[in-house]
Amino acid sequence: MQLKPKISPAKTAGTRRRLMAASCALLSAGAARSQEASAAPAGSGLLEDWSVDSALAYYHEDGRVQAIEPVVNVSKIFADGQSLSFNATFDALSGASPNGALPSHSAQTFTSPSGKAAHAYTIAPGQLPADPRYSDTRFAAGGNWTLPLTRADQLSVGAKFSVEDDFVSGTVDASIAHDFNHKNTTLSFGLFNEYDSLHPVGDTPVPGSDFASLVRTGGKSKDGVGALLGVTQVMTRTWLSEFNLSVDRFTGYLNDPYKITSIIDSAGNPTGYEFESRPDQRTRKSAYWENRVAWTPQLSTALSLRHMSDDWAVRSDTAQLHLRWSWSNREQYIEPSFRWYRQTAADFYTPFILDTARQSTGFESADSRLGAFRALTYGVKYAHKLAGLGTRTESEFSVRAEYYQQTFNEQVPVPAGLQGLDLFPGLKAILVQFGYRF
Amino acid sequence: MSARTIDSTDGRLTVEPRGEHLVAACFTAMASPCEVLLPAIDRPAALRLGTLVAQEAWRIEKKFSRYRADSVTARIHANAGTAIDVDPETASLIDFAGQCFQISDGLFDITSGILRQAWKFDGSDRLPESKAIERLLPLIGFDKLQWRSPRLLLPAGMELDFGGIGKEYAVDRAYDVLAADRKEPFLINFGGDLRANRAPVHGAWQVGIERPDTDREATMILELEQGALATSGDSRRYLLKDGVRFGHILDPRTGWPVAGAPRSVTVAASSCTEAGLLATLALLHGNRARELLEREGVRYWLVQ
Repeated sequence: MQLKPKISPAKTAGTRRRLMAASCALLSAGAARSQEASAAPAGSGLLEDWSVDSALAYYHEDGRVQAIEPVVNVSKIFADGQSLSFNATFDALSGASPNGALPSHSAQTFTSPSGKAAHAYTIAPGQLPADPRYSDTRFAAGGNWTLPLTRADQLSVGAKFSVEDDFVSGTVDASIAHDFNHKNTTLSFGLFNEYDSLHPVGDTPVPGSDFASLVRTGGKSKDGVGALLGVTQVMTRTWLSEFNLSVDRFTGYLNDPYKITSIIDSAGNPTGYEFESRPDQRTRKSAYWENRVAWTPQLSTALSLRHMSDDWAVRSDTAQLHLRWSWSNREQYIEPSFRWYRQTAADFYTPFILDTARQSTGFESADSRLGAFRALTYGVKYAHKLAGLGTRTESEFSVRAEYYQQTFNEQVPVPAGLQGLDLFPGLKAILVQFGYRF
Repeated sequence: MSARTIDSTDGRLTVEPRGEHLVAACFTAMASPCEVLLPAIDRPAALRLGTLVAQEAWRIEKKFSRYRADSVTARIHANAGTAIDVDPETASLIDFAGQCFQISDGLFDITSGILRQAWKFDGSDRLPESKAIERLLPLIGFDKLQWRSPRLLLPAGMELDFGGIGKEYAVDRAYDVLAADRKEPFLINFGGDLRANRAPVHGAWQVGIERPDTDREATMILELEQGALATSGDSRRYLLKDGVRFGHILDPRTGWPVAGAPRSVTVAASSCTEAGLLATLALLHGNRARELLEREGVRYWLVQ
């Protein structure tokens, strides 16, 4: 046999004692050094320790607007428990945006200030009036800082702003979360304050004024405050439940400055248009309940329900279900989702104003977003974990697609002249998003 | 508020429930599955603690890896034949390796990795030629280094390999980081080398150690309250020639496999570094492994 070594076992019985001493020397030297090191952290590489989440989305409404939206989010959790995150979004929106007027059996011409410059456009008979040269760009950015106050309390503060061609918005928020019941229960309370400033192209229309006479004022603003109270409860090791109540109140100029309402005679022919006129305050209350359950290591679901009501008589209900199925050691997952939404109309929503009732100076809006409708969203997301970049051990590529379908359920008696027109065409939209996280 | 899940992945770290009362933060480092076990806490807290541990593991891996061009190891190799100054952490590891070399009478030697050039433990019957091994022997021996901390001169052609102590050292360093932050129970497990600060409320930590039996892989369950466990040995790395099994434990003094080395040795000690060294030394003692462990009064589990 070739194995010829004659091994003499370590002679002293103190091998262990000597190894213990050597290990202690090594490890205590390390501990002393790490204290020095933490006093002066070395920052190598700007994004070295940050996780980066990026996405590019394409949104397309059938026959209307389309948008391209890149999004980036960077975040870092520090060793002392603080975390910092920043995000930025850019939207370029273009296409045709409905102006609120009704279709008609005759052609309609509008002179619109929306878009880059005043222009006129003519809508063919039977078509839903929409400004064909609608375009907007939006840039939004925000940051959030979370700071543990004690072992059980956490403070979070954030700020965000967004800028559009004709709109600037800024929001600050703060929330505090308290863990108790062995950290199985988290109670949180948050407040926000938002301030928006509008400078519509061609100035702000006076609410309810005649579209043709262009009675306009300067810039307008609105502001909002809101509060949220939430509780998160670990029910079992695989079931997490969350319940939130929130209330917010906006005051100021709450109109969409580009939305108008058709004025029709008793036969249904358009005789003019007027700018919409909404109340100058709105209070919303909502309740939200979400349950996340991991049924097996491969299959988990998230079901959420939301009810919202406001003092404009809009009531909405949302139910959303996400199902995540992962395989090959969770390196891949597919996540189908389904969302059901329904809302009632605002009490001043009206698809048109009858000429004869013109004298009433009440509020009115034909903005379909304030009408009664239902919407279904079908989505699916697929994600695949990939090898990491540099020091990162993992990255994830994902693709998401959603199909949105909106249908109106208006029960308005329609004058004979409007019969045969599709007054409430629904909306179909798709969204495709590619994401990469590292 | 809603970005909190109990079963989803978050970038490089995964947080998942483990049984009734525990949660695990999992990641990969040093080619091993790594995890931190904690009593069930919320996900952000588990993520934060997992991040502390993972960052330390990745730091050490990056610094001492043989496979990275920017590692300290690569720098030492690139400067073989000339004297260089190393950083304090590297210096204390070289000091430690030197002490182990002395304590073990040269059985434990961080310069012996070069034997990989001759030995390929692929399960085949291809033994290296004696000449190939003899050519390498002059390049092995910690006592051939010129080492006076922090100045190192690695003779040209020689190699240093911290792989034999790196994972256990990483466990202990990560342990220190976490222990400074947290008094509640935790257990750090880097691919079977592990250390716990104290027992969880619901009894002892249940630790599964891979048991490399001949035909099947089985796991033996050990209970650990506090302290460290380390395992050495790998039954899948061997050569078989004329019915003789050549294990992958090489005696750096001869360049040949140690006869009769156990398949695996698991040792309990107060630190993972110490446990790892004891387990490795036991393997290097071949058929006298048990004798050594008994004599030193070590708690051990041995698979022959």
